[in-house]
Amino acid sequence: MRRISREPSVVITLLILVGLMLAFIIYPQVQVVLVPGLNGYIEFLAGQTWVKPFFNSLQVMCLSTTTAVILGFIYAYAMVYSKMPFKPFFRIIGVLPLLSPPFVVAASYILLFGPRGMISYYVFGQSPNILGLGGLWGVQTIAFFPFAYQLIADVLARSDARMEQAARNLGAGPWQVFRTITLPMARPGLLAAILTTAIYIVEDFGNPALIAGQFTVLPTQAYGLISGFGDVTGAAVVSTILLLLALVLYVAKTRIEGQRSYVTISGRAGTIPRPPVPAIVSVFCFIACLFLAILILMVYGVLFVSAIVEVFPVKWTPTFKHFEFLTSNITPLQNTLIYSGTAAIICALFAMLLGFLVQRRDWRGKRIVDFIAIMPAAIPGIFFGIGYATAFNQRWLDWIDRGALITISMIFWNIPVGYQAAIAGLQQIDRSLDDAATSLGAGSLRAFRDILFPLLDSALLTGFVTAFVRAVTTLSVVIFLFTPGTTVATIKIFQLVNDFMWGGATAFTVSVVGMAVLVLVLVWTISGRRAGLQRTQ
Amino acid sequence: MSNDLRITRREFLKIAGAGIALSATGGWLAGCAPAPTPVPTAAPPTAVPKPTGKLSVYSALNETTNNEFVKAFKAAYPGIEVDLLPMAAAGELQTRIRTEKASPKCDVFIGGSSEFHDPLGKEGLLEAYKSPNAANVDATFKDPNGFWTGWYIGIFGFVYNTDRFAKEMSGVKKPTTWDDLLDPAWKGKLAYPDPIKTGGGYIFMATQIFRFNRDEDKAMEYMKKLHANIAQYTGTATQVIQLVSQGQFIGGLNWAHDILTTRAQGLPIDLIVPEMTGFEIGAVSIVKGGPNLAAAKAFVDWVLTPEAGALNVKLSNRLSVRKEVPPAPGTPTLESVKLVQYDRQWASDNKDRILKKWQATVGM
Repeated sequence: MRRISREPSVVITLLILVGLMLAFIIYPQVQVVLVPGLNGYIEFLAGQTWVKPFFNSLQVMCLSTTTAVILGFIYAYAMVYSKMPFKPFFRIIGVLPLLSPPFVVAASYILLFGPRGMISYYVFGQSPNILGLGGLWGVQTIAFFPFAYQLIADVLARSDARMEQAARNLGAGPWQVFRTITLPMARPGLLAAILTTAIYIVEDFGNPALIAGQFTVLPTQAYGLISGFGDVTGAAVVSTILLLLALVLYVAKTRIEGQRSYVTISGRAGTIPRPPVPAIVSVFCFIACLFLAILILMVYGVLFVSAIVEVFPVKWTPTFKHFEFLTSNITPLQNTLIYSGTAAIICALFAMLLGFLVQRRDWRGKRIVDFIAIMPAAIPGIFFGIGYATAFNQRWLDWIDRGALITISMIFWNIPVGYQAAIAGLQQIDRSLDDAATSLGAGSLRAFRDILFPLLDSALLTGFVTAFVRAVTTLSVVIFLFTPGTTVATIKIFQLVNDFMWGGATAFTVSVVGMAVLVLVLVWTISGRRAGLQRTQ
Repeated sequence: MSNDLRITRREFLKIAGAGIALSATGGWLAGCAPAPTPVPTAAPPTAVPKPTGKLSVYSALNETTNNEFVKAFKAAYPGIEVDLLPMAAAGELQTRIRTEKASPKCDVFIGGSSEFHDPLGKEGLLEAYKSPNAANVDATFKDPNGFWTGWYIGIFGFVYNTDRFAKEMSGVKKPTTWDDLLDPAWKGKLAYPDPIKTGGGYIFMATQIFRFNRDEDKAMEYMKKLHANIAQYTGTATQVIQLVSQGQFIGGLNWAHDILTTRAQGLPIDLIVPEMTGFEIGAVSIVKGGPNLAAAKAFVDWVLTPEAGALNVKLSNRLSVRKEVPPAPGTPTLESVKLVQYDRQWASDNKDRILKKWQATVGM
């Protein structure tokens, strides 16, 4: 691996990136970790109120990650390999669950599948109590399979069709090809998917807050300590426990990753169509995806109907009053669009460049920077926000525009998604490509810009899409940062839910989701020439 | 390093500020007694000009109350422009004021139970202010140090789904005491905001302890029996009302004013206030070092007027601490409900211990 010391421009770039991460990830977080003081830690840990939530978190993480990754893999396989129809439609469906502002989407599951749910009770006559581990497992599976799907699809799309074609020519059956070629080649994507999904599930608070009931997990405990009792000390300890959990996951990941090579794009690449999958597999894929799509659309359907009737579910008179309310409060929507869009673009580029320096170059402290880049995923949003409010609400920093600060917080909170996608993408591109460029005299940064960057377009897109979607739906990161002029849509939704204004809350939710979907469709269309699934056609 | 210096300076200012405040109140209390040294600040002129400028308010009140309050205050003080940051979650606002202490952005913290204001006062983050308009507010509703003043009262009550109750619970009497909820007919039909995660849920549990004259064993026995009837502990307080109004569960424990506000939308729910119930004191306080102290004081004075009290009663269904402000129609009055002797200090000091005891009792 190349050392960087001979290239000053690379060193400077690296220093800038690391400096920014220290300032905007480590420094604010240290503020939070230090809040309780040694006595605070000892006292809270000795109180043992965290033990049960800790094991609950582990339990739901293991269960939901397993199912979410399996679901994500099936979805990705269906999108990349199968010949199922309506792929552009399924592509939107595959992102929709990420677009779930806390408190509203989870409530929709209860309306559908609760003890008196519209489906569970009024269709099937059942009275299941979905509030608890079972319901949480199910909801988290659907809410987080998109992470797994995006990362795995990205890897599958870039895997080399020639190997599979060769295997088929040598007489291997479709199943054998899948087992011995497709699956092993998807390994970096799978690992990234498992790690990312696990961390996001363990960090999520929006769904457990409504679905889990008394099944308390660490983030709901932390949130409850702040929201119910104003106990920042206890909550900071809980947050630190979560961070340690992430560290363990991270170490586990680097241990099992091993030294295998996943290179599939090499200098000699040619385009060969993938061997066809059996028709029965395509049919199965289609049915599975359709079923999932119906479920997801029902969840959002409830929200849509709530937004256009008087009082859901008792007064069904159609009305525009909730949307009229929205149009008179339009600023939060505009803010959401501006902050999230800006943040997602910068975040994806930043993560890509960082991924390149970590994956392709050799320097001291690489492992630590690698961890820092994944760390924000494990920080509960509420602590990311508290860290920012504490660190940057200083008299000498009062000139900083709040909108800018919110955007910065969104950038650095979402670094992990872009970074994971970048690393997984880079692992599949043969080093000899960029090495050839550098031996011919190009600098490292030029090789990155001219050779790798164009090959990483789908990874970049994945980073952008996920960062954007997460920025649009985050409540907890901005809750301590927003000012009256910089309110975002999720804050407004949260406020309306607390005011029992379900109609207004759903009108905002539907608009945010619709707006985000529009942006995504626009981005996909513009970058459509090679992105993700089109590549396979 | 510079951080240390700043804190020292802040500490110093705090002590100095407290000193001035102390000597000022001292002089005021002493009345005609000769003051040993004259207070070195300039005496304010008798006709104080109305304060002007921007006022930043962090509010835990609901949307409609916020809007009406801003409008009405603007009419009374046209020179002040109110920048209101709404968040119907007092714990978040309290945390926010704490995190902003290096450069306070908030002048007035309004709404939310006094439990959320009191610690801020003890940490030195609030400005002591005894509004003249609070002079005849009962002493139990205000902080003796003047860090916060109570101006409304919220009562804890019981919400039930009228449709499902009529259909499925015929022959069961509507609960008038908390003990009525132990009737096996309620088994699997009640929702309760998780006391570990919600302030309201904990207030209910502490209420039981006070109801049994602080006999914790009796209270825990009650909680254990109640546990047998609870179908669901919820992660947020508001969710109980949501679930009951959807008919997912038949009954639930929650704030009376929130139940009434939701009922007003036409949802099939009703409120009962069983006797010996708990309550919250809704407070208002001034943040120390905020941008506009004069305007903050004007705002607090205004909030404590009977007019503002009546406006809040009308819009939020809560009760005013002022006896001359009548409750909203259909709202239980302070006289009509029986309240426990709720000791806020004890409840917050013993929170962790009580919660742990409860967890051991019900096995969760």
